[in-house]
Amino acid sequence: MNILQVQNLKKIYGSGENAVHALDGVDLSVEKGEFVAIVGTSGSGKSTLLHMMGGLDRPTSGAVFVDGKNLSNLKSEELTIFRRRKIGFVFQNYNLVPVLNVMENIVLPIQLDGRQVDERYVDEIVQMLGLEKKLDSLPNNLSGGQQQRVAIARALSAKPAIILADEPTGNLDSKTSQDVLSLLKVSSARFSQTIVMITHNEEIAQLADRVIRIEDGRIDVRG
Amino acid sequence: MLRVSNKRCIRNLAKKSFKKSKTRNVIAILAIALTTLLFSSLFTITMSFNEAFQQSNFRMIGGYAHGGFKHLTEKQYLEIKDDPLIKEYGTRRVVGIGMGENLRKNHVEVCWCDANDAKWMWLNPIEGRLPKEGTNEAATDLEILRLLGVEPKLGETFTVPMEVDGKPTERTYTLCGWWEKDPIVIANMVLIPQTEVNDILDNMGVSQPALDGMTGSWDLEVMLSNSHHIEKDLNHILKNHNFQSEDKSQEESYVDIGVNWGYTGAQFTEHADPMTILAIAVLLILIIFAGYLIIYNVFQISVVNDIRFYGLLKTIGTTGRQIKSILRRQALKLCVFGIPVGCILGWLIGIKLSPFIMSRFNGLVIDTISVNPVIFIGSALFSLLTVYLSCVRPGRMAAKISPVEAVHYTEGNSHKKKQKKGKKTVSLFRMAWNNLGRSKGKTFVTILSLTLSVVLLQTTVLFTKGFDMDKYLADKSVSDFILADAAYFQDNLRSWNAGESILEPRIIEEIKDHGEIKEGGLIYGQTADVVEYAPEDWVKQKMREWGNTEEEISARCAYASYTKDGRILDSVHTYGMEPFILERLKVYDGDISKLNEPDNRYVAAVYSEGDYGEFYKNSHWAKVGDTVTLRYVSEWEIYNLKTGEIYASEEEAGDQQWERRPRTYRDETFTVAAVVTIPNNLSYRYYGSDEFVMGADTFQKVNGTEDVMLYAFDAKHVAKMEQYLHQYTTKEEVRYDYESKASYQAEFKEFQSMFLMVGSLLAFIVGLVGVLNFINAILTGILTRKREFAMLQSIGMTGKQLKVMLVYEGVFYSLGSVVFAFALSLVTGPLTGVILGKMFWFFSYKPTVTPIFIVTPIFALLGSVVPLLVYRHVSRQTIVERLRESEG
Repeated sequence: MNILQVQNLKKIYGSGENAVHALDGVDLSVEKGEFVAIVGTSGSGKSTLLHMMGGLDRPTSGAVFVDGKNLSNLKSEELTIFRRRKIGFVFQNYNLVPVLNVMENIVLPIQLDGRQVDERYVDEIVQMLGLEKKLDSLPNNLSGGQQQRVAIARALSAKPAIILADEPTGNLDSKTSQDVLSLLKVSSARFSQTIVMITHNEEIAQLADRVIRIEDGRIDVRG
Repeated sequence: MLRVSNKRCIRNLAKKSFKKSKTRNVIAILAIALTTLLFSSLFTITMSFNEAFQQSNFRMIGGYAHGGFKHLTEKQYLEIKDDPLIKEYGTRRVVGIGMGENLRKNHVEVCWCDANDAKWMWLNPIEGRLPKEGTNEAATDLEILRLLGVEPKLGETFTVPMEVDGKPTERTYTLCGWWEKDPIVIANMVLIPQTEVNDILDNMGVSQPALDGMTGSWDLEVMLSNSHHIEKDLNHILKNHNFQSEDKSQEESYVDIGVNWGYTGAQFTEHADPMTILAIAVLLILIIFAGYLIIYNVFQISVVNDIRFYGLLKTIGTTGRQIKSILRRQALKLCVFGIPVGCILGWLIGIKLSPFIMSRFNGLVIDTISVNPVIFIGSALFSLLTVYLSCVRPGRMAAKISPVEAVHYTEGNSHKKKQKKGKKTVSLFRMAWNNLGRSKGKTFVTILSLTLSVVLLQTTVLFTKGFDMDKYLADKSVSDFILADAAYFQDNLRSWNAGESILEPRIIEEIKDHGEIKEGGLIYGQTADVVEYAPEDWVKQKMREWGNTEEEISARCAYASYTKDGRILDSVHTYGMEPFILERLKVYDGDISKLNEPDNRYVAAVYSEGDYGEFYKNSHWAKVGDTVTLRYVSEWEIYNLKTGEIYASEEEAGDQQWERRPRTYRDETFTVAAVVTIPNNLSYRYYGSDEFVMGADTFQKVNGTEDVMLYAFDAKHVAKMEQYLHQYTTKEEVRYDYESKASYQAEFKEFQSMFLMVGSLLAFIVGLVGVLNFINAILTGILTRKREFAMLQSIGMTGKQLKVMLVYEGVFYSLGSVVFAFALSLVTGPLTGVILGKMFWFFSYKPTVTPIFIVTPIFALLGSVVPLLVYRHVSRQTIVERLRESEG
């Protein structure tokens, strides 16, 4: 079953001679429980693709289906609500809310949605990511690796259909990168989560079940 | 130290980063302009006061020339007048002094003066012109014309009786112009041509110098380049021509000079009581504080936001001092825009407010508006000071930042707090609350800035609400109306004067004939020569209180007049009061009704009372039952104060210090029947002598005079009477004036509204500063969190939720300050009440929360609208754009 389906996706910035084809007809599908890495150089269009898949940006043409729903049919506020229920984000620079402590950050998406926190589930995530002792800390007092683990916990907490990770190890050293990545992989396996990660790091990409290469806005079929 | 010429590079950096922060600049310029506006309006009002005070002095003096040389010969005059130190000069020659029954009460000078001199004495004809040379024209004021019974019509002829060098004569002139006599100016002028002056002198056989040394001489009035050291300049001028003003015995070279003390001495600023100076100082500090709160906040926020930029500068080798100088440069540049705008606006506000405030002060020239450069220079300097102070801390912070830290610096990176106990719940409310805690300094300063205006408004209302009309009128409303000579009411310039300010019986008759009087009574004023004999210790004590030294006191007592029982002569004031008035005295001891008994020999001793009605029991020597001896003097003896030598006349005593004592007299003794205090508006309204009250009959019999000081009465129809009296004293009998309960009430209301208006305006402008500060805090708070908001939205926060959170933040600020102000006013209110109660005797503290209730909805609206507007601007960018934008 395809949890994510991308059909002939195009994104063009500017117009006429200045038009930049950031995405030039991408087709892609991801199955439930899969861990997919999208690799490409900077400017290849991988970030744009991720933004489209996460409903942060709208395509020029084509369609994105997440959990069977066409994102283009959703209005802005609907999209936001869809996003907080179905998509978990992990960013390169963690993007935690500085005034909230670790626990508050983790449960934020659930509470924004007005749902009850599944305490057992959240505790399990926290255990797995080794954050038990840091729950009351403020993000600025954590190391990069710890912050990224919090971000992963946050992404998992809402039980989304898919986790989109944007260079999750971009700011981390290689040892920490390995740790974080394996945690991401293990936890997603544990909760049968689907992960789409973009990176420019081949080594990291190799940890994924499947690697997709993108160049000049197109999927590189050789990969 | 290594000196590198890096000025240019720093200047360039300052310029470039200045251009980057447009929003900050706009807000900072507005802040500086508002601060300057407050300063310059304060200065405009103060300076206008000062000048009005000076103007009033000039008018009392009779002119505004810097100074002059008096009684010159023609030769001296011609020699001195072209001295280079003299910027402008005016000439006057007095030839005669107005005489005759009609002019008896006035000091009238018959003289010629040139155009400058006339201008400097405000002799500007409202009709016609100054007299032409070679004619028999004359110009004078309307009062003289009225006194001489001349109709103000050009070409009318009139005769002026005068004394020329001691000899009487009279001259007839053709009226060529007239002006209104300023009531404050003492002398009246009859202006004639110089040819006429010479003609009179020839006719009267007066040659120069005249016997009195004045008649026909040249008075040279001068304007110097400035008024700072008039006396020194005048003496300098004299020295240039080998004259001097020190030694009168050197007749050849002696020239008398006069310095206009309106310039030198009595400046309002020097005259102002400590309370006024304190009030101005408090206002200055308040403005600096209000200005500091915003300008500091603006810069602090901007430094925090640009901290990476400063860290970068540090990394590539900019020193802390250079960074501070970059910041100062930017601040200065903002001043260049902000200060002039503020100066001009503040001056305009000051102009509007000054007359309003000045109208509360008797005898000030209301239309005086200052354009003194001090206003602009002063406000600019004070603004610069405020800006400079405001930059110190942000500058230090920018200078101190370590390059490494700067990169990681985010707002609210608090090092103190590492943990935060949290529940597993997050609400928008709590997020907003936490957001305010990110930068406690910014939040505090912004709230304080808003609070300041609320507190000011609160204090203003508390102050004006606390004005207690009943207290204010208690002492004044002894009767509906008081009628007297106008001089009686002019407490700061003139006062009731025995010989001149008598209320004529015909006036009282006319008022009574008009009907409408319910009840009333007269106070007879003392016009007879009378002294008292008081205990020596008491008199000496009084002299000490007036600041005399022990030597002076013993000198005064050495040859003074004593009674056999050792009492010493002292001045005294007596009143004769009709029952209506006696009923209105406050009796502290004894029985006042004895004063109404026929053929009684009783007096009441007049004690004084403080503003709060406290009885001063040491303010008089006489107690109930004491005997008082009043000595009615028919002839005085003049004696030398130091040697006791007796002179035949005051003239004979000349320059010697002399005193007088009764030579022939009769003594009258009385018994003190009561101890009383007199409401101020029934008293002589001046202090210094012991006072006694007699019944009206006793007074008339003993004194042998029937001169009335005032008539106090209640009317059947107060409003009608008010109208009648107003008409009567402004149209028919302008010498007289009246006070009424209604006029006290109006006076009170005006006083109250002045404070209310000035205070509210101040609160409003300070409020604008606070709101500006608030807008800046919200604006920067949202702009710097653009990415954070985008992130929040990417993980599922809806726009609506975000807006709710922002509104919470805004409302926390605005209502926080209301709550803060409320708490503050709970604490400071009663305290302020006590202080104000001490400062203003008619103030009673009445707690009020009205202003806070008025302000609350406004602030609530402000707190929600501002964040929404700012967010709307931000949300035009897509989430992805925002996420990307600040990643760099």
